[in-house]
Amino acid sequence: MGIVLSNIIAIYRRELQSYFVSPLAYAIAGVFWFIAGLFFVMILLGPDGILPAVAAIDAQGQQLGVPTPPIDVPYEFIRAFLDRMGWLLLFILPILSMGLYAEERKRGTLELLATSPITNWAVAVGKLLGVLTFFTTMVLPMLVFEAIAISGSNPPMALSIPLLGHLGLILLAAAILSLGMFISSLTDSTILSAVLTFAVILLLLFIDLIAKIIPGPVGEALSYLSLLKHYNILIQGIFDTSALVLFASYIFLGIFLTAQSIDALRFQRQ
Amino acid sequence: MIEVEHLSKIYGSTPAITDVTFSVEPGEILGLLGPNGAGKTTTMRILAGYLPATNGNARIAGYDVHENSLAVRQRIGYLPETPPLYPDMTVEGFLHFVARIKGVPAGDRPNKVVAAIERCKLEDKRRVIIRKLSKGYRQRVGIAQAIVHDPPAIILDEPTVGLDPRQIIEVRNLIKSLAGTHTIILSTHILPEVSMTCSRVAIINRGKVVATNTPENLMTQLTGGSGYELEIEGEAALAKQVLQNVAGVSLIESIPTAGMHGHQPQTNRAYLRVISKPGKEPGKDIVATLVRAGFGLHELRRVNATLEDVFLQLTTEEKNFETEVDLAADNKGEAA
Repeated sequence: MGIVLSNIIAIYRRELQSYFVSPLAYAIAGVFWFIAGLFFVMILLGPDGILPAVAAIDAQGQQLGVPTPPIDVPYEFIRAFLDRMGWLLLFILPILSMGLYAEERKRGTLELLATSPITNWAVAVGKLLGVLTFFTTMVLPMLVFEAIAISGSNPPMALSIPLLGHLGLILLAAAILSLGMFISSLTDSTILSAVLTFAVILLLLFIDLIAKIIPGPVGEALSYLSLLKHYNILIQGIFDTSALVLFASYIFLGIFLTAQSIDALRFQRQ
Repeated sequence: MIEVEHLSKIYGSTPAITDVTFSVEPGEILGLLGPNGAGKTTTMRILAGYLPATNGNARIAGYDVHENSLAVRQRIGYLPETPPLYPDMTVEGFLHFVARIKGVPAGDRPNKVVAAIERCKLEDKRRVIIRKLSKGYRQRVGIAQAIVHDPPAIILDEPTVGLDPRQIIEVRNLIKSLAGTHTIILSTHILPEVSMTCSRVAIINRGKVVATNTPENLMTQLTGGSGYELEIEGEAALAKQVLQNVAGVSLIESIPTAGMHGHQPQTNRAYLRVISKPGKEPGKDIVATLVRAGFGLHELRRVNATLEDVFLQLTTEEKNFETEVDLAADNKGEAA
C-alpha cells in the first residue's frame, strides 16, 4: 500500500511539474483568466447583467408604487458565474487532458512506465490528480471575483452555496478530465485526442436534450447521465447525492478504462 | 539469471520470433545480434515485460516475466530503442523520478542517482533540461535510467545507436564495467560491438536463433577458423579437383567476383577460397600441389574469418546466391 501511494505521488509530482514548465499550460491559464474576468464583468454590469436588471426591476416597482420582492444578487451571481465556467470547461479541459497519455506514447516514456514496478492504476490516478491540481490552481484566482460579489451580500450568504458550487466545478472537471485521459490513452496524437474529448464532452453535456426526444425509461436513463444537469443542481447550492455518485462514477470509469486501454495496448502493439 | 525457452511471438498472422531459446549466466554480457527486423526488439520487450509472448516462457532471476511481472520489473533495468525521457525534466530530476518508480527507498535515492550520474559521465549535465541535451547525452541518460536502481539484470536495446565513434567506445566501456555485478543482454546490428563487448553472442535471423556461442568459438566453429585466398591461372574446376586432395583442406569455394577488393577479375584466372581444417596450415602444400599440377599461382593470401563472415553466412546465404546469378547475367550482357 505504501509503495502504491509512493508511486502515485511520484507520477503526480512529475505530472504537476510538467505543467509548471509548459508554455502551453501558461497560455491556457492566461486565456482562462481573461475569459473568466470578462464573464465576471458581463454578468454583473453587462447589458443583460444582473445589476442593470435589478435596477430596472427596482425602477419599475417604484414607478408602480408596489414593493418588489428582494433579489439576492450575490446568489444569482454565483449561479450565473459557475454556469458560464461550466461552459468554459468544455473548451479548456480537452486541451489539459489531451497530452496525458498521448505524449507518453509519442515520447516512448510509456515503455518506461510499463516496465517499471508500478501498476497502470497508480499511473492513471497520479496523472488525474496532477492535472486536477493544476486545474484547481487555475481556478483559485476566480475566488477573488466571487469574494467581491459575496462581500456585498446582506444578510451574509450561507457558505454552503459557494462551497457546493465549487465542489461541483471540481467534480465536473475531474469527470471530464478522467474521460479525456482515457481518450488520450487511445492515440499518440494530442490533437486527435483533444478533438475526440471535445466531442464526447459535448455529447455528455447535451445528452439530456437528446434524452427528451427519446420517450420512456431509455430517455430517463440517458438524462441521468447528463453532466450539465447534475452540475446545475450543485451550483444552486442543493446537496444532491445522485450528482456526487454520477461524477464519481465518471471519474472511476475514466481511470478504469485508461488502465485497461494501456494493458490492451501492450497486447496489441506491433 | 535470464532463461528464455521456446519463446514465440505472433503479430496477427506474421511471426516476429519463433522458438527462441537461450540463457544468460549471472555476470555475463550476451549480445543479441541480427539484421534489422530480425526480432531483437520483440525479444527484449518480452523480457522487459512490455509484451506478452504468444508461446514459451522467459524467466529472470527465477521469476516468470509474464506471471510474476511486477517481481521481474523490480529486478530489471531496460533501455528501449528510443530512450524514454521526459524532455522538460533535468537529468537529476528525471533520475530521481525513475529511482522512485523503480522502488528505491527514499534514503538510498540520492546515492544511487549520484552513482548513476558518475557511471554515465553526466556530472556536467546534472542540472540541464533533457530537451537541451545532444543525442549522445540523451542516450547516456537512457542508460543511466536503466541502471539507477542497480538492477541485477539489464536489458539494452541498441545502446550505441546514433552515437559518434568516441561516444560508442565510452558506452562500450561503461557496459563492460557493469558486467560481473550485473547480467546484461544487449542487442545490436553492429558486428564489432559484439566481439568487443559481449562474452557470448546469440545470432538471430528472421525470428530464429541460428547460433549461440562465444564470439571466438563462432568464428572457428562455423568457418573452420582461417583459410587462404588464391588467384590461379587456369580452370577453376580443375584446380578445385586438385586441391581437394591436399591434407588439411576442408572446403574450397569460388570467390564471387563481387566480393573481390580492388582489382578487376581477369579471364582465364580462377579465384578460390580454401578453408583449412581447424589447427592445420596447409599453405605450403597448396602451393606445392598447384605448381606440380601445372597451375600458375599469382597470389596466395592468408585470411582469418571474421564475425562478419559468420554473420553473413548465417543470415544471408540465399541473398549471396542471388547476387551471383545476377552478376553472371550482367557479365554475359557486357560480353555481348
